[in-house]
This record gives sequence, structure tokens and C-alpha cells, in this order.
Amino acid sequence: MDYLVKVEAVSRRFPMDHSYVSALDNASLHVSAGEFLAIAGPSGSGKSTLLNLVGCLDKPTSGRILLDGEDTSGLKPARLTALRRDKIGFVFQTFNLIPVFTASENVEYPLLVQGVGASERGKRAAVALESVGLLSRAGQRPDLLSGGERQRVAVARAIVHRPALVLADEPTANLDSHNATQLIDLMRDLNLSLGLTFIFSTHDQRLLEHTPRIVRLCDGRVAEDTLRQEVCHG
Amino acid sequence: MGKFLLLAFRNVFRNRRRTIMTLFMVSGGVAGLLLAGGYFAHMIDGLREDTIRNGLGHIQIFTAEHFRRDEVHVLDTGIDNWRQVAATVKTVPHVRGVAPRIEFYGMVSNGQKSSVFMGSAIDPDAERSLGFTSNVSSGRDLSSRPGSEVEALIGAGLAKSMNVGIGDGLTLLSVTSDGALNGVDVQIAGIVTTGISEMDARYLRITLNSAQRLLQSDRITNLVVGLDSTANTDAVYDTLIPRLSGQPQQMTLKKWTDLATYYKQVRTLFNGIFLFMGLIVFFMVLMSSVNTLLMTMFERTREIGAMLAMGTPRSWIVALFMSEAVLIGIIGAIIGVVVGNLLGVLINISGLHMPPPPGYTVSIPFLVKHVPSLMIGSSLLVIVSLAFASILPAVRASQLQIAEALAHV
Repeated sequence: MDYLVKVEAVSRRFPMDHSYVSALDNASLHVSAGEFLAIAGPSGSGKSTLLNLVGCLDKPTSGRILLDGEDTSGLKPARLTALRRDKIGFVFQTFNLIPVFTASENVEYPLLVQGVGASERGKRAAVALESVGLLSRAGQRPDLLSGGERQRVAVARAIVHRPALVLADEPTANLDSHNATQLIDLMRDLNLSLGLTFIFSTHDQRLLEHTPRIVRLCDGRVAEDTLRQEVCHG
Repeated sequence: MGKFLLLAFRNVFRNRRRTIMTLFMVSGGVAGLLLAGGYFAHMIDGLREDTIRNGLGHIQIFTAEHFRRDEVHVLDTGIDNWRQVAATVKTVPHVRGVAPRIEFYGMVSNGQKSSVFMGSAIDPDAERSLGFTSNVSSGRDLSSRPGSEVEALIGAGLAKSMNVGIGDGLTLLSVTSDGALNGVDVQIAGIVTTGISEMDARYLRITLNSAQRLLQSDRITNLVVGLDSTANTDAVYDTLIPRLSGQPQQMTLKKWTDLATYYKQVRTLFNGIFLFMGLIVFFMVLMSSVNTLLMTMFERTREIGAMLAMGTPRSWIVALFMSEAVLIGIIGAIIGVVVGNLLGVLINISGLHMPPPPGYTVSIPFLVKHVPSLMIGSSLLVIVSLAFASILPAVRASQLQIAEALAHV
């Protein structure tokens, strides 16, 4: 079976003082295209490390990661940049919107990096903003948006270039429970309507109720990989 | 690319207070350079035109012999057929006129005290037609049609040391072109101030006819050529060389730039001072901007991490930071040019004077020249300085580890 993401016996250790700390230990994971998957676990369990490795933001100490069949472990920086640009969308815990850009300009940014023309960028950004229900706020800068709105703009930015994979590292950590639930629902809607693959991390159990597949990490190891066919969205 | 530049432009004004401080420094540097450079340019221009108008002219014509050997007797190497040479020179376009001169020396006495003088003999009409200043501080200029008395202008220092004034008589003694001693009584028509105290202590001027009678010669030392514009010097020089090649005496032409040693020294000095000031401004802007831009980079670490995560090439991050620095440089330069020129105008209408420099007797008006090349040069200097200042922060930003940058607090 062809998987979109294959994590094979991946470990990641970080130097600390005169020893090493293992953030991820021999973790393996396969994700198919179109899946909606949550990485769950307490703080320090390795969720962010795993997402960073899958997102080509970091390199494993051992093991390998295949993205769309391509082993990312040995790729040169320029190729990794191109992979992130074309195949991955990111949603960050702290939104990380460009403060001097409007919501629309922020959503356009991945297309700008891809070299898409201005008018095409505008059209696609409008579609993406509409899909997250923020078209009316397109001209606002992030400082005039609420936390929930900012994160929805970030989601629009992550999907605007139709990446194969959207990675969201603790996307609800800075949101209240209402906005957090809405955001997960929004991502699930986009997953279903656009067929995009979503992997998000969270330590909030309540957000896992509508998630069909949950991978639990504990001390850097995959402790549990649950597929819940019975989950009915909406 | 437009959107990318827009991002750089908006980032410039993200932290307004910091940007204003940087702009204040950059524009201050540019304005300072414009004022200093404009003042120097005014001084150099003034010195150039003063040098030319004070009698140097634009081109001087000597016999070639004049530079080959020292004279045994006065006018040994002088020009014989100077009227014919002058007539030839006057036919060249851009030539306003030609003035004959004799440089001589001797003793001057008031009957009680004697002193050495450096004499200059001129044709008053020719000098006036060229617009040369006589620098008469009191009395009047030499008359082209004197009465029975031979008139003289003497330097203020010489008049003081000889204890004479306007209307007083003096006796000039000099060696003739044959080596004999000759004398002539002169009446002081006016006192001249050259501006250089050493010169004023020895200077004496009489008419050409008087000098030729004193020196018993029809020769002159040189011809001084005045042009309609200093800018035509090279062109007239190039025209005169072949035209004067057929003269019985071989002639040598000297441009004012060859003869104005003091002017060249002053210009070199001012250029050196200005270069030093430019270097100070360059490093001042560089050092303070590096600090500011590094601070900006640290503040935006997470944002840069996010941009890199989204596939932004690292070269774009370098370009972004450098663009922001260059934009600050451009804006600062524009403000600096405007402020510098406004201050220049204010200074020019204020009528300020600088004290006389060493060796000078007159104060110099504090005027600032508006020099376009100086505006461009000063602007480029600060822009380049800021571009240099941005290299370190830009490279650091581009080399951030994405995962670490995203976790930056």
C-alpha cells in the first residue's frame, strides 16, 4: 500500500550538557492520503519533534521518513525547501502570521513563494479565506483579528496551495475551548471536503472526540495507534 | 517581487520609534556631509575663481626658455614680440582678453628706510577688461593714463613698514635688463590687500610702461589669458598650442591648474578632511545599524522560522533584511538631502562669516554650495553603509534552524 507519510523506526536525540536527551525513540507511523490524524500525548512526549521531522523542519538521528515515497532523510536543503513549499502546509501553535500583511496577504504568502502570479494569488486566497469563513476579514491585519480568527487565517494559509499534507502543531493551544473545538471541526471539514491529509498534535483529550485516528505518544515512543471507524463527523 | 518589496517596506515601519532613531542618524549623517561638503565646495570654488581673478588668469604664456634656466638679468627670458603673440591669442574663441605682465624685484626707499619689494607690472586697461580684481583696500587703482608722476600700488604690510600712505612718494631701485642699476620715483595711488599677510609685506604694483622704463626693456615676463569660463580652459589650451608654434620664440603654455599650487594644496586638504568625515559617517551608521538590525532579527525569529518552514528560500530572507536596510538608507538619504539643503539655504541667507584662516587677513563668508554629486555621493554612502550593516543580521536570519526558530520565545 502507498502511504503519503512513512515514519520508519525514527529516533531523535538532542544534545544536552554532556549527554543526550531522546525526544523520539524508534517511532514508526504510516499515514495514508486523506487521513485526519491526531498525535496525542502529554507535554514532552515527542509530538512536536515528530511533526517537525515529518514536516522536514528537522532531521532524525536515526531511521527514515518517506514523504510521498521520497526519503527525506538524505535530501539536500534546497530539495527539502521545495518539498515544504509544494507538499506541506503548516499551522503553528502561535499562529505566526506576518503582522504587517493583511489576512489575505498572509494567505497568499505560500503562493508568493511558489511564484504564482498576483491575480491568481488573490483569487485563491479569497477561496481559502471563504472556506474558513473569513472572507469578510480579508483586509484586516492580524492584530485586529481575534485568536480564533488568526488561527483560521493560518489554516487558510496552510491549505491555499492545496498541499498533500497539512501539519498543525498544537493549533488549539492558544485558543479557548469553544474556538479550539471549532478549529478542529473546521480542519475536519476541510479534510473531508478537499481530501487534504491533516496531522495535528494536541494534549487536549476533548478535541480527540471527532478524530478518526489517534496516535498516542509517551516518552518518545508510539504507545497506541487507534483507528475509530465509528466516529461520525457532524 | 512587488509583494516582497511591500513586505520589506512595511517591516521598515513596524517598530516606528526604532526606525525613526535610525532615520534620524542616517539623515543626520547625510545632512552633515552635505553641509560640510557644500561649505568645502564653496571654499574651493571661491578659491579657484579668486585665484584666477587675482591675476593668475586661465592660461599663462611664457617663453620656453623661462622654465629652462634662471635669469641672469631681469627679463632675460622674457617675451620679445608679445604684442604679436597677444594678437594671435585674441583670435581664439572663448578668449576674453590678454594681459601682459612683468615680474621684477628691487628695493623701495622712502628716504629714511629701505625694504625689498616684489614687483608686478601690469596694463591696467587689460587687467580691468579681464575682470581681474586689483584688491585695492584704500585709494584708487592704477590709471592707464598717468600724469607726470609714476603711480604705484603697495601692499598694506609694506606701506605700514615704510610708514607711508596714499599720495606719499617712494623711490624704486632695480637692476635693468643690462645689469645696470636704475631708479624711479613713484607716488602711492592706493594700498592693496592680497589676503596673504606675507605677500602684503612685500608687494608693489606699477604700470607696464613704468616697469619697462625702470628695467630698460620692451620685453614682458608673460601673457595672462582670461577666458569667458573656467570650463573652457582645456579647449582653449589645446587650440593655442598649435597656433603659437610658429612664433620666433618657442612658447610654453601653463594652465591655471599648473600654476595654482596653493589652490591644489587646499583642495587636497579639503578632500582629505571630507573623506575622513565620510568614513566617520559610514562607520557610525554601520555600527549603530548592525545593532538595530540584529535586534530586529531576534524579535522576528519565530516569524522567520515560519517563513522558512513554508518554503521561503534562505536567499529571500537575506534579500528581505537587506532590502529593509537599503530602504531605510534611501528614506534617510532623502530626508538628509532635504534637511541638508534647507539648512544650507538658511546658512546662506544668515550672512555668517568664518574667522580668517592662518596666513589670511580677511574673514570668509560661511556659504554652502548645493552640489548634486555630493547629494548622490552622500546618499550612496549611507545606503551602502546600511547594506553592509544588514549583511550579518541577514545571514544570521537566513541560517536559523527552523525548528529552533519556531520554538523561540
